[in-house]
Amino acid sequence: MKIDLLNVSKAYGQGEAQFWALKDATVSATEGDFISIVGPSGSGKSTMLHIFGCLDKPTEGEVRVDDQLISTFSDQQMSRIRRDHIGFVFQQYYLNASMTALQNVLLPMQLAGVKGGKEKAAAALETVGLGGKLRSYPAQLSGGEQQRVAIARALANAPSIVLADEPTGSLDTATGKNVLDMLMALNRERNLGVVIVTHDETVAQKAKHMIHVLDGRIS
Amino acid sequence: MSWIIFANARKRKVRVAMTVGGIAIGVATLFALLSLSAGIENALDREISGMGAHILLLPEGCPYELTLALMQGSDAFEHIPAELLPDIRAVDNVALAVPVVVGKAKVNGQLSSVYGTTQEILQVRQWGIDALEGAVIGSDVAEKLGLAVGDIVTISLYTSVELPITHVLDRTYGRDDTFVFVALSVAQQVLGLADRLSAVLIRTEVVTESTRTQYTLARMSDIQAVPPSDIFERLMELFASIKQTLILITGIAIVAGVMTTMNTMTMAVFERKKEIGILRALGSTKFNVFKLFVTESLLLSLVGGVVGLIAGYVATLFLPKTSGFGLEATPQFSPIYVVICLIVAILVGVASSLYPAMSAARTQPIKTLREL
Repeated sequence: MKIDLLNVSKAYGQGEAQFWALKDATVSATEGDFISIVGPSGSGKSTMLHIFGCLDKPTEGEVRVDDQLISTFSDQQMSRIRRDHIGFVFQQYYLNASMTALQNVLLPMQLAGVKGGKEKAAAALETVGLGGKLRSYPAQLSGGEQQRVAIARALANAPSIVLADEPTGSLDTATGKNVLDMLMALNRERNLGVVIVTHDETVAQKAKHMIHVLDGRIS
Repeated sequence: MSWIIFANARKRKVRVAMTVGGIAIGVATLFALLSLSAGIENALDREISGMGAHILLLPEGCPYELTLALMQGSDAFEHIPAELLPDIRAVDNVALAVPVVVGKAKVNGQLSSVYGTTQEILQVRQWGIDALEGAVIGSDVAEKLGLAVGDIVTISLYTSVELPITHVLDRTYGRDDTFVFVALSVAQQVLGLADRLSAVLIRTEVVTESTRTQYTLARMSDIQAVPPSDIFERLMELFASIKQTLILITGIAIVAGVMTTMNTMTMAVFERKKEIGILRALGSTKFNVFKLFVTESLLLSLVGGVVGLIAGYVATLFLPKTSGFGLEATPQFSPIYVVICLIVAILVGVASSLYPAMSAARTQPIKTLREL
């Protein structure tokens, strides 16, 4: 799967309150890519990631998924792309506190109607080294473990691309490195496309391609 | 999807319990109301048809109050002069005229209903005994006072008499179970109602001619003649209007329940914005989110419905058995009431979840994620 952002701009607010979070960005991502989007807070990097992830539509420009223009897509079609082809990892993990690690990973599979989900979810948790914590609730896990559950959840429906928004932002250096190494290994071994948003240059430099964003523009 | 709902419910136990409780109260009230109403209707039917009369002769006054007093075994303080009895018996088509006098008196020190009548009562009541001698007592009286055949019972009000118990009637599940039957003259003497009657039960020779006979009897002074079926219909009409009012009140309580559940669900949507945002990011469609909230509400309502049915059933068993008409009414349980209550619970679930579910479905994942 290939996602192309072509001269994409995104504005928030209206009239005098309107501001452009992203201006004229052209960038692509596909399987096997490892891209870091780097920039200070408020530079527009998360906005770019959200448009990549079909969570948002641009104000101007085009977004194409496998050459199909998504501006014509319905909510259902956008949801299906997110569900089947894109995995999300967030800085605050965003796990459901009332569900076990296994149930959190199972959730996207249930949405996709995957059969035998439990075995696959357990395998995904095994991949991130949490085979022994299937029945643990998020509150019983460390930050690094929770982020690994989030990665397993992102991998649940075997996506083509994983979009990670500051995935190491809430972790200490050593744990953050582990998480990053995991994403790199998945990119290398499974040809998974990885797009990381970060303000940390050290993290950004691990990527094959770096995109610098400043004041909404790619510099 | 159900495990997602159960996982969320586990996290919000108090809120879930309150929602289920609110629906359960409404359903329990409705179930109890329906069961008790049916029980009262049955009791009225049983008592009036159980009189065994084609025509009921009553003193002047409100026929419904007088009939209820007669069924309850209370003196209505309005009476028919006993001297009219030969004239009544002489009316064409009257096969049987059974004089009755009722009132409360102390039976072995405890207040009970005394029913004075003649041997003719045995032709209209199916008691399976040969003669009304001494005191014939209902099964409840026997149980309450610990009496058996052969015991001597003391009945007193204006005067006191001692009578042997000759029969304990089989249980009829009607008011007869609560009466002490004695000879007319004995009851008149004890109750201070000499030469007076509470009512006369009339059986006609030709039932199809009963209306004509009723008009003839009604022309006699100091009495009114009414067919028990008319009394039954009017009492049922009266009861129907009471029932309608109660159903309306229950309906208002259920609407209040809908509003409360809607409020709970709306608050739940606000509280779960993060969860909804993540669900949407993971690929959940607007319809998936809508379905999740409606299903959750439906499940809670169904659980509330079942809990309400059980609570309503138990409550009717413990509620006083005496209805507003002073009749002993056994609640009537019917599968149709269960179905009605569950349908009401489902409607409550759907009605209360539509707005919150639509609001949840409208949640923009990007907006939520930005706010997190």
